[in-house]
Amino acid sequence: MVAGLECFDPNLLPHLAIFALGVAMFTPLGESLVLPAFRSKWPSLETKLGRTFGGLLLICFSGFTVSAHTLWMHNKSQEMGGGSFCSAGTVCDCASVIGNNDWNTMPYLGLPWGLLGMLAFAMFMWLIISMAKEPTASWVLNHLKLGTNFGILGIGIILYLMYAEYEIGKICQFCTVAHIAHISATIGFFRLSNMYGSSDWNVSGNTTVVDVAAKERRKRGGYVAPKQASEEE
Amino acid sequence: MIRRNISEEAGARSDGLMIVSLMFIAAFTYIAFTTNPVYTGIGVGDRVPELEGQIYDGGAWTDFKLEDSLDPLWAEGDGGTWFMIEFMDTNCGYCQQQAAEDIPNQQAKWLGDNPPRSTPDNVTVEFLAVSISLWESGTDGKSYGRDVIQDFRNNNNHNFPYMDMQDNSHQDDWGGFGTPTYFLIAPNGIIEYVNLEADSGYTVWDAMDEKIPRGE
Repeated sequence: MVAGLECFDPNLLPHLAIFALGVAMFTPLGESLVLPAFRSKWPSLETKLGRTFGGLLLICFSGFTVSAHTLWMHNKSQEMGGGSFCSAGTVCDCASVIGNNDWNTMPYLGLPWGLLGMLAFAMFMWLIISMAKEPTASWVLNHLKLGTNFGILGIGIILYLMYAEYEIGKICQFCTVAHIAHISATIGFFRLSNMYGSSDWNVSGNTTVVDVAAKERRKRGGYVAPKQASEEE
Repeated sequence: MIRRNISEEAGARSDGLMIVSLMFIAAFTYIAFTTNPVYTGIGVGDRVPELEGQIYDGGAWTDFKLEDSLDPLWAEGDGGTWFMIEFMDTNCGYCQQQAAEDIPNQQAKWLGDNPPRSTPDNVTVEFLAVSISLWESGTDGKSYGRDVIQDFRNNNNHNFPYMDMQDNSHQDDWGGFGTPTYFLIAPNGIIEYVNLEADSGYTVWDAMDEKIPRGE
């Protein structure tokens, strides 16, 4: 085994690939190497805002998939009464962390941590998808605040889980990837908050009166009564 | 002039919710279909909680950990050890009655080198009594301590071990219940019987007869 690779588990590759793609969206290198392939399908990636939404969504999706993976491992450990799921290293051992009944569920609630991770990343993705679809909506600022605050709260939970790993004396690579995804998502929300209100947030094709009227007309297949003088064409 | 379009805004949120819900349901369905978790508890079908302490087997007090005697990968048809665990109090009248009447008959039936109740060669049965305290120490007429446990075991001619759990430390994992409480544990640590949720008249001895496989 190559030194330093003891903790690497091939099962992490799909999660890491999605995460890396998400991070690449933020970097100039990724922009030039990865994005050309996607630009034709998603033109919104041309803008900085679009790339930030896309990158953040991928990061959260990787967090979601790795959390689902840890929940699966948790259930398997409950099924088999413990087992080895990761590389049987000395320090990196997910079975010892996820299979540890003293630490593997939320205090008071008794729910597995993987489930909390899935819920948290699902909420992040919902916030991002809705903002990406309607960046000029009235609730965007609320979504940004919600995202950053939950991100900060999540970092507190991550510290608790790191303490748990310290107490157990083992590190779970899958949990660590989820933690990194969460921290990256929090940074992403801060970045979005900084962009909000700046020129970076300018979105072409705003929902204007004319757009609305045209949409209504298409929907109703005919005449839509103007609501104010300026709407008359 | 820009006018906010409220219905479009709501649509964006519900679209997002729908996409995320679909992902969640897909992930959850996959997990539900590919795993079958068993949770630790004291109900039938649960994995038995940790039980660790010092036991007296007639000679000396030694360390015992139930987990060491279990095989989580055991499957029906495999060999292994079935445990009948009785939580009792040496001062409990009904426990005393059981210890004097039923248990000697049952230990003669199940324990020893060649017990009358046959089992396959690779299947064994063990009894374990766990002595807990229903009363506070110092309560008038109630005596506790290892000497009391030893006397109780010897006076009833029991030949299986007794665990000292008179500090009631089991309650963190097992919860609180009265005595006697009987559990039948399969070799994989899954609880097959507990009198707390059994039908009236169906005893642990009936469950043992029914669930423990017979030999040739």
